[in-house]
Amino acid sequence: MSRWPFERRFRPGQIRSDADADIREEIELYLDLRAQELEEEGLPPDEARRVARERFGKPEQVEDELRRQAHTRRTREGTTVMMSGLKQDLGYAVRTLRRSPGFTAVAVLTLGLALGGNTAIFSVVDAALLQALPFEDHERLVFVNGVHVQDGEPAFRGASYPEFRDWRERARSIDGMSAVANFEAALTGDGTAERAMVEVVSEDYFDLLGVRPLVGRLFQPDEYALGGAQPVAIVSEALFERRFEGDPSALGQQLIVNDIPLTVVGVVAEAFGGIALDAELWVPEPMISLGMSPEILDSRGSRFLNVVGRLSAGTDVEAAQAELEAIGSALEAEYPRAHEDRSARLQGFRDGYLGDTGQLLWVFLGAGALLLLIAAANVANLLLVRAHGRTKEIVLRRALGAGGRRIAGQLLTESATLAVMGGVLGLFVASSSLSLLTPLIPDGVLPGYVEPRLSPAAFVFSLVALGVVGLGIGLVPAASSARVDLASRLRQSSKVSAGGPGRFRPQHVFVVAQVSMALALMVGAGLLTRSFQAQLGVDTGVEYEGVGAMSLQLPRTRYDTDEAVRAFDRELERRLALLPGVSSVSLSSDLPFRNGSSGAYIFREGDGPDDRIRFHYHAVSPGFFETIGVELLRGRFLDETDVEGALPVVVITETMERRVYPDESAVGKTMYLRPDGTLPAEVVGVIADVRFRDVTTSLFADANSPDAFFPLRQRATLRLEAAVRTTAELSTVLPMMRSTVNELDPNLPVAQLAPMAEAFRTETAMPRFAAFLMTIFSVLAAVVACVGIYGILAFSVGQRSREIAIRRAIGATGGSVARSVVGDGVKLAAAGMVVGAGVAMFGSSVLEAFLFQVERSDPTTFVVVGLGMVAFALVAAIVPAVRATRRQPAEALKAD
Amino acid sequence: MSGSDLFTGTLDLLILRTLSVEPLHGYAIGRRIREGSEGVLSVEEGALYPALHRLEGKGFLESEWGKTDTGRRAKFYRVTRVGAEHLGVESARWAEFSGAVHAILDR
Repeated sequence: MSRWPFERRFRPGQIRSDADADIREEIELYLDLRAQELEEEGLPPDEARRVARERFGKPEQVEDELRRQAHTRRTREGTTVMMSGLKQDLGYAVRTLRRSPGFTAVAVLTLGLALGGNTAIFSVVDAALLQALPFEDHERLVFVNGVHVQDGEPAFRGASYPEFRDWRERARSIDGMSAVANFEAALTGDGTAERAMVEVVSEDYFDLLGVRPLVGRLFQPDEYALGGAQPVAIVSEALFERRFEGDPSALGQQLIVNDIPLTVVGVVAEAFGGIALDAELWVPEPMISLGMSPEILDSRGSRFLNVVGRLSAGTDVEAAQAELEAIGSALEAEYPRAHEDRSARLQGFRDGYLGDTGQLLWVFLGAGALLLLIAAANVANLLLVRAHGRTKEIVLRRALGAGGRRIAGQLLTESATLAVMGGVLGLFVASSSLSLLTPLIPDGVLPGYVEPRLSPAAFVFSLVALGVVGLGIGLVPAASSARVDLASRLRQSSKVSAGGPGRFRPQHVFVVAQVSMALALMVGAGLLTRSFQAQLGVDTGVEYEGVGAMSLQLPRTRYDTDEAVRAFDRELERRLALLPGVSSVSLSSDLPFRNGSSGAYIFREGDGPDDRIRFHYHAVSPGFFETIGVELLRGRFLDETDVEGALPVVVITETMERRVYPDESAVGKTMYLRPDGTLPAEVVGVIADVRFRDVTTSLFADANSPDAFFPLRQRATLRLEAAVRTTAELSTVLPMMRSTVNELDPNLPVAQLAPMAEAFRTETAMPRFAAFLMTIFSVLAAVVACVGIYGILAFSVGQRSREIAIRRAIGATGGSVARSVVGDGVKLAAAGMVVGAGVAMFGSSVLEAFLFQVERSDPTTFVVVGLGMVAFALVAAIVPAVRATRRQPAEALKAD
Repeated sequence: MSGSDLFTGTLDLLILRTLSVEPLHGYAIGRRIREGSEGVLSVEEGALYPALHRLEGKGFLESEWGKTDTGRRAKFYRVTRVGAEHLGVESARWAEFSGAVHAILDR
């Protein structure tokens, strides 16, 4: 029995303190006299006092009831009864919750964690899936992707210019169509040299996207006319601010882009970043020469364009898709070579930007929902336990005259108080985890326009979901306990020993459900983690550590001859080699995972046009192989002798050798880049495979074309990747790489200056992030589920204290008592794990698309996760088990 | 707890009847009821005070602070005129009710 609480913190006001004192005095007198009477009957004084109190019931509750009565009487006239009733209920709720800090802490923590975690993830999903795209009426905007169908698998590619024109002319279901090419260009002139994303756009582009100029004008029809290139540009507000201080009179001034002066004719709002989302400068189609050879527009096979369109009114994506496929077939018939296995695939803007992330977000949304359910089960469970533990109190209060409605109101107030506290904590958890998580979201996982921020809708949704499920389940038993048979419940005091955990079925169902859902989440996290590790373990054929890289784009105007380019290359190579610790320098057209490589076709001796083999083309300096750490298998690497005028040579990968010469060594063979036997190259070496584009596709898949390396000196390129291998700190060498370029050509901007390892990290960012987030979810889920196990065990130990005491009194050891409690916990966990394993086997199919080299029924994952869950359950069971053994038998038997 | 539980409303009736003899404080009322029924009826002790306060709230009782035999301060309750009338009505109703129950049980 708790001590008579003379000291009350929540005194409802000084004026009433006299009345309160009267009530206390009155009850105190009763207890004294009753004890005296019992003493006269022969009980020892202490015992008499105890029995008097026990017979009386809970004095503090009686006192509360009396005060409430007095209060109601006072407020009956005048003041609003309801409001003061609420205030009083609130005070009562706070008092009650303070009396059981453990329950309160667990409930608030559960609510807070689940609410916070969910609100954070829902906020991200809300931003990505629901927030408006930065385009007017974006629901009708589509990407028209060129697709290359190989082995029935469509791979998204760009479109060629002639292809785009055919689509635009023939498609009725698409209202306007525009082609966009983008590249980074050097901005020079006044101010520092910098690189900016440039979009070369065809007519209708701005109309299609609903863009209006902020200052100046958009392009005029004659500026789009091919053949009459006019050097005009539209710039973003930010760029206008940077280069011209935002002065509107600067319109008409010139900007040097890739060494060509362009006249700025208009400015668009900063929020618009083109379809690239980060473009800052736009030029009309004929100005393609700014970054590419203009002949590219005549080539049917150069699929480098992004095509966007707006669906015609009254058409849906399916109808437009069908039409485009028909056009694709017609084109394939007209141009069998250039359009072989080619078609088009429409994609809504949102899907296009989200890509794989969209699917991943739905997985996270599902994980969030599971966590919410687990938390709701916890809340329901806690309320059940509590309602049961409070049956006597509730019954007594009813006997004392409190109406059922009043009691329900008080329970509701208590729940609401918990919800508010949990909500406040949840808001805190949500905002802090968002600001913690957002920087951890790697580039490329979410499109640039998505800015995750705390979404009030997400919070309210989580709160309501949790409230409806949790409190809904919890209130039913609470309300029914208010309706129990008063007389019988009053007599049945709480010390009547309850059985083992077999007693309260609903709680067990909740705990089992919790454990099973937590296990399913843990399995998901485990599978994603294993898959991520498998990706890290892939042999990419490259040694990333100690390599720094940068990319350069030589402007065609100043580097207009191969000789000029080679002179630059040689000097850059020489100067980079002088940097601290540098053992080798590489110049190449591309580097693994840093940028796309271009595809081409190759022919063997005597091959006809139909025997072509697709491969990825790389032009590299002799230092390339050593710098990125490639292994030579046969023959030799490219070297200093492979210069212009010497025998054209090529080094190929092992996979390429197997593809082209399945049964013999390729070294010494001659391959041709044209079917007519021109543009030969002799294979001088075969190297181990190098992964350039992605980690997960099999190199042997037909869709994945192999790689071949040509000497940079025989094929000069304007697009240049420079890399050094150094033993010195990259943090000191990287800035030196930039200044080396600046000394050589002050008007040449340096981009993507970073360690090579970063490119690989970015490539594996998505699986890393997925595994990370899923792990957070599953740990939260496991913790919450263990709180559930803990709750039910603690409750049952409390209920069984008398039984346990008797067992100890007749000789049971502390160990055997503890074992039985832990056993109960493990039984519950085991039941949950069996169900959960089934759920996970079934549910892991949603993850299949994200798994690499891991089966979705991966036994290792299931075993490890199962053991983890058992460990969690044991931890949860230990506290109640220890408590059960600590209790002295005599004390337990006397208590209550 | 010994003896039978009281029907709701019965406790009010017993309190009013006990107090109609003389003003008493809470403990004495409980004891009178127990002794008067020779231990058959016993008040759920915690329920006594709420009942007293409720009756006072309804105007059936009034109270004032006085001294017990041993000189301790105690709150004494007394039946009001309205309370006495209520007791009359309820006693009659009770008699009728218990008579009816008897009639059936004795049949």
